Formats: sequence, structure tokens, C-alpha cells
Amino acid sequence: MKNINAWLLAAAAVTLLALPFVATGYVLFIVNLLMVFVVLALGLHIVLGETGQFALSHIAFYGIGVYTSGLLNNAFGLNAVLLLVLSALLCGLLGFLLGTLAIRMRDIYLALSTFAFGEAMQWVFLNWTEVTNGSNGYRLSPIQFFGYTMSTDREAYPFVVIVTALVVAATIHLSRSRLGSSFRAVRESDVAAQAVGINVNMVKRVAFMLSASYAGLAGALFTSFSSFIHPDSLGFQAMILVLIMVVVGGIGSVRGAIAGAIIFGLISELLRQVLSFQEVIYGLVLIFFMMFMPKGLLGGGRTMRIGRVTQSSPALVQPEAAHNDGAGRSQA
Amino acid sequence: MSFSDIWLFLQQGVLSGLVAGSIYALLAVAVVTVFKTTDVPNFAQGEIFMVGGYIALYLLLVMEWPYWATILITLAGVALIGLVFERVALEKVIQSRGVAVQMVIATLGLAYILKGAVRQTGLGDSPRSLPSPVSTDVVVIGDAFLTRLDLVIFVVAVATMLLLFLMFNYTRIGKAMRAVGMNPRAAQLVGINLKRVRMAVWALAGLISAVSALLIMPKILITPDIGHIAILAFAAAIVGGIASIPGAIVGGFLIGIAENLVGLFISTNAIVVTPFVAILVVLLLRPQGLLGGKLQVKKV
Repeated sequence: MKNINAWLLAAAAVTLLALPFVATGYVLFIVNLLMVFVVLALGLHIVLGETGQFALSHIAFYGIGVYTSGLLNNAFGLNAVLLLVLSALLCGLLGFLLGTLAIRMRDIYLALSTFAFGEAMQWVFLNWTEVTNGSNGYRLSPIQFFGYTMSTDREAYPFVVIVTALVVAATIHLSRSRLGSSFRAVRESDVAAQAVGINVNMVKRVAFMLSASYAGLAGALFTSFSSFIHPDSLGFQAMILVLIMVVVGGIGSVRGAIAGAIIFGLISELLRQVLSFQEVIYGLVLIFFMMFMPKGLLGGGRTMRIGRVTQSSPALVQPEAAHNDGAGRSQA
Repeated sequence: MSFSDIWLFLQQGVLSGLVAGSIYALLAVAVVTVFKTTDVPNFAQGEIFMVGGYIALYLLLVMEWPYWATILITLAGVALIGLVFERVALEKVIQSRGVAVQMVIATLGLAYILKGAVRQTGLGDSPRSLPSPVSTDVVVIGDAFLTRLDLVIFVVAVATMLLLFLMFNYTRIGKAMRAVGMNPRAAQLVGINLKRVRMAVWALAGLISAVSALLIMPKILITPDIGHIAILAFAAAIVGGIASIPGAIVGGFLIGIAENLVGLFISTNAIVVTPFVAILVVLLLRPQGLLGGKLQVKKV
């Protein structure tokens, strides 16, 4: 396993290094976009895959990140690093607040309330015309990085790749840390986690906070190469795309989230022109995976190590919910 | 705004709200029935409804079938879609030990397929509507204006709810659905075939969606994106308490009325955001919904 990881890493590094010398601007734009998707997917991975909280508010924070960075840059022309940090901080703070409200809820309630938050935020982006320019979309000026102005995809590419690499490294480090273990403990059973002395509510809040700051970071990253944002691309459709990346890529696995982001980011970009076709393919892929590989492409690693296939699925629905005691589980 | 204006707006808002709300209530009942018996928050509810509209549109306008045949085939067709999806996809997800996330994603998959399929036919390229089977003459109630069609929509929707009430209380399959909703394992022990009940529930949800689609189609223009209306059904279900069918109905009417009042008193721009605000407020203040009863204590 270690070997495969090393090879994958080497292959990815070589590809990313060679790309700017051979690829066209459009290809680099796609790669930049995929990097943003990777950061977004890793953020959702933290709250959904690691902590098992079914939150659908991710794109709302991404949007906040985009507008924060875009507005600050247009107004003050801040340094790119500062824009990333500020967007991530603001979204982290908001995520912490949302998490504080969300710890009262679980499963479907959490999904629906965070979904409602997302839709409400999109409405704000659309209707707060004085700030976001509403449905006309918002122009993003080029961002500078210590005097180096990034006005094309090619110029932004090194910055985007390096930031993404740092985020990936941080996520891997996080999942190996004590906090990562706490996340997973809460996912498997918050009662058990509480019993071994984990502050469940705080862990959930931190998960929301980190996840939101990833989304904010992704938003700021987007502004480093893109020149335009429209609220239409910050809605439920985008949320579903990121959800698919995390779940079909392999729920609870960093590699899975990255693979999912790249595969589905590419599919969505390639099929952009043929909407009906794209939708049918998406639908079939989703149903197929849920039927035959409910844990996604790369979600099986942990299970194999534990050696108990049935016990380690992320417990997003606790069997003890009194009113619906296991309609699905009675088959077992 | 003078007092008489307010009184007029209030009447108009409440009556129009009851008409729109009856559709939301029906869809919310479909959501709640499925959620209670199969544990699935059906994110394809809106698209199932949308497909009902397009089947009717195709039969009536393209094939030029008579209204009664269109209604029958639409009802049967949409019920079949629900049934087949449950039988083929969801049963398999359950077997693969999928939990909430997997179920939701499977229903999202269905939503995408239905939407893409309708788009592919080209029928959805421009907003379409059905000719009204009854006259759209204006009816004045108090100071408010409705149409005859509005009254038919309301009456048929309420009659459907009554039928559902009778079905849940007096028929074997209806009681079986309720039993599975309360405790699937116990229901299975007394001889209820869970698979069959789940299929029946999805067929029923399809049927209800088709009824709502047929009712509202002559009144509005639809596009393949009309599935968004399910957000209102979810809002209704949450406001009423997501495990309560009477709650869903009350919630549906409340959402309909709230939407109309917001449109009249605040701004038509704010209509869209009303359901989300309703969801957020209810979930924060009374997470079990208005008719959801006491909060259940979690046992380990």
C-alpha cells in the first residue's frame, strides 16, 4: 500500500510539473478548477467522511469565500496569501457558528437545515445586488502574489497547485492526528466517543469550522485564476457535485475524495455542453455506485484493515432512532 | 397601506395560499409517507412530480389523447416509476447496507435521470402548460378573487387527502404501511412483507405526485426544473414534523399561505427564500415540527 501511494504521488508530481510546458491555457484552466474541487471535496470529506455529519452547506461557504476574496481584492488589492487566509478565517468562523446550531440536529434534519442555509445563501448572492452585482455576476480582478500578478490561468497555475498540495498534506496530517481520531470516533458513535472522554459537541463544531474554512480557501483559490463568478454556479447543483465527489470517490478516504474530485470534475466539465446527457449519466453513475459500491471507489481500505466488512460503514443513521427502527436493516 | 388594503391582501393571500398549499400538502404527504416507511428522504420527489406533468403533457398535446385516458395513464405511469425505482435500486442499496447518505444519493440519481430524460425529449425546451379541463372564470369569495380551476384544485386535493386518510386507517395495506413506519421489525414479525410494503409506498408516492402534477399543470407553466417545488414539500414536512402525515398537511397549507402573504406584503423576490427561512426557524426552535409530538429520547 505504501508503495502504491509513493508511486501515485510521484506520478502526480511529475504530471503537475510537466503540464505547464505542454498544455494549452484551457487545459490549465481545467486543472486549476480541478484543484479547487480537490480542496472543496477535502473540506466536505472532513465533515461528512470523517465526522459523519451530513451537511449540505459546503457550497454556501465556498461562495462566501469567493465573494470575500473577490471583494477584498477589488477594494484593496491585497496579497493572495492574505486573501486565502482571510476567506478561510471568515468561513471558519461562520462554520463554527453554523456548527454550534447544527449540533442540535442529526441525519435528515441536519441535511435539510444545512441545505436550507445553502439555498438561503445563494439567494443572498443573487439579491444583494449592491455587493455581489446579483444575477449579472461579479467581475474578479487579477490577484497579485508579492508583486507577481496572476492574470491568466498559466500564471496562476503554480500558486494554485502549491496551495492545493499544502491543503492535501494538511488533510493527511489531520486525519492521522488525535483530532482526526476524535472525528472518526464521533462518526462511529457519538455516545461511545463521549464515554471515552471526547467532547463530542466541540469536535463537531471544529469539524464544521475546518470544513467551512476549506471551502472558503477553495473560494479564494478560485478567484486567483478566474475572472468571473455567477451565483448560479453556487447552488444546489454544485453542492451535489461535491457530494458525489466525496461519496462516490470513497467516503471517509482522503484518496477517495481527491480521486472523486478529479474524475467528476472532469466529467462535469466535459459534458457541460450536453446538459441532458450529463444529467442522465450522473444519475446512472450515482444509482449504480449506491447499489453495488455504496462506499465508493476507494472507500474500502479501512474496512479491509479492520477485517469486518459489515461493522465499519459510517453510521450516519443510528439504529436506535425509535420511530423507524431499521426498515433497511431487517433484511440482515 | 390602509387598513382595508391589509384586510384585502390578507383574504387574498390566505385563499390563494390554501390553493397552492393544497398541492404542497399533497407532495409533503408523499415525502412523509416514504420517509416514515422506508427511511429515505426522497430528494427525487420534485422530479417524480415533474415527470407526471410531462407524461400528461405528452399524451394530451402530442398524442392528442382524451383527458380521461391521459389522467389514467399518467397516474399509472408515475406510480410505476416509483415502484420500479424502489424494487430495482433501493432494495439493492438496502442489501448493500447503504444508510441515509447512500439512500439520498440514490434518489438524487433518480432525480438526475428523470430530469435528463425529460430534457432529452425536447418537450421541456420552452415552458409549457396544459389546457384547463374546467373554466377559469373568476369566483369572488369575500374580497378575494379565485378561479373555478383554483376551487377544483383545492377540492380534489382535499378529497385525495381524505382518501389517503381512509386508506391509512381502514385498509390492510394502509395499516401495514403505518405499522412498518412505527416498527418494521415488529411489523415483519406479525407477517407483513416489508419489501411489498416498501414497493407499495413508493408507488403511492408516485400516485400522489401524479395527482398533484395533474392538478397544478393547467395553472402554471412547467419546465424540467420545476422539481424545485419539492423544496416547498420538504419545508411543509419539516414545519409539520417530518414523521407526521397530518403535520405534513398542516405544514403544506401554512407554507402556501406564508408564501402568498410574503409575496403580497413584503416582496415577490422574497417568496423564493420563504421556505428556507421556515425550515431554519422550525428546525432551530422546534426541531420535531409543529405536530411532531415530544422529542424522542435517544437510547443507546
